[in-house]
Amino acid sequence: MIARDQPTGASGEGAPGYFSYAVFAFSLIAGIALGLAMTRIQGPLQRSNAEPWQLRAEDRQHYQIAIALEYAHKGDLPGAMKKLIAMRPAQDPLDALADAACALGSSGYLRSESGVRAIRSAVALYSSQGRAGCAEQLLPQKATISAPALATEVAPDAGFATPLPTKPPLPDSAADVAFRRLAPTPAPKRSFEARSARSYCDAASPALIEARVVDYLGRGIPGQRIRVRWADQEDIFVSGLKVGRGDAYADFQMEEGIEYSIDMPGAADPLGASLSTGACYTNNRRTLKSWRVTFVEI
Amino acid sequence: MLRFTRSLILGLLFGALAGLYFGWFPFPPDSRSSKISDLAQRYRDDYTVMIAAGYAADRDAAGALERLRLFELEDFPAYLQRSTERIISTSARDLDDIRLLVRLAHELGLLTPAMQPFLVMQSADS
Repeated sequence: MIARDQPTGASGEGAPGYFSYAVFAFSLIAGIALGLAMTRIQGPLQRSNAEPWQLRAEDRQHYQIAIALEYAHKGDLPGAMKKLIAMRPAQDPLDALADAACALGSSGYLRSESGVRAIRSAVALYSSQGRAGCAEQLLPQKATISAPALATEVAPDAGFATPLPTKPPLPDSAADVAFRRLAPTPAPKRSFEARSARSYCDAASPALIEARVVDYLGRGIPGQRIRVRWADQEDIFVSGLKVGRGDAYADFQMEEGIEYSIDMPGAADPLGASLSTGACYTNNRRTLKSWRVTFVEI
Repeated sequence: MLRFTRSLILGLLFGALAGLYFGWFPFPPDSRSSKISDLAQRYRDDYTVMIAAGYAADRDAAGALERLRLFELEDFPAYLQRSTERIISTSARDLDDIRLLVRLAHELGLLTPAMQPFLVMQSADS
């Protein structure tokens, strides 16, 4: 048998003078605990294959609202429920949706019309299943219908202390009214006016029509369609698509020798003058003239 | 003393590495810290279709744009075009979903030749 420096005594030391198994074992355990603690504190490694249930609270709310928006169009309740359940909420999925609508509604989400419509979709979804939340109270009055009010209407007899069912039945007429009121409505039609069209000369952006769509306070309005027509052709471009250029911005590349007419279909009449590009000089460099057009909401 | 220090450092080092490995890979924390931009492709497509469906319901392009911005992409119009074309070419979604995407792309001025037949189909249906 080969003689080795076996651990001696209670210390469990091996290879005296070189290595201590006992210290190594204890520090190994401490190291594992430390490493695990770090992963719990730091969270998971950056992942790009997350599932919806792994979303952080804010994005989770947006995802739930998106589910409600899809439901507003498709009316597919099982599909919507499946997606809400896949979010693995800690509570009932519809209650979680109500909480999400409430949280978003309380955080300034209702400042925009699109936010109001989105929250309304969420309310329509969870109200249809007998749930209620605070979002109904946050919505503009005309679209509000409170579940307690409906429950009061259908209360059978005040003299009996009948426990409220989890999902109170709605009288047909009241339910109809609820759905009629909560159904998503098309975006309100906006009107604009082309207030200014100025040419400029910039070698960095030659032959460009830079359109801006703003409200009466000068705030950019994204998603507005702007039409450019020339000869027998036309093209549509939309405000807010260029990240970093603001919500108001949209642009169109012109060609030399063509005259362009610009308007917002159904929202703004064509600009009085046609736009065209041509040579211009800046810093002793020849380039092509560009235009800035501003549409203001009226 | 050297023996003690050496054992301690090696133990801590190996232990920490093992802890990090097990904590991140086989047993990751039950994290809910991802952003919408971190979603797997399948769920990104789901989200995009949901936004397109929302647009079909309320015709609110500004709202749709706001929601698509959560992808935090530099050029999300191009993303919408690419996604729609990929979904068309791979038949990754059903026809109704493709129509929704094409409709949104059309309204945003992002229609491409690959999407054109689905738009024509919609016009014919309506």
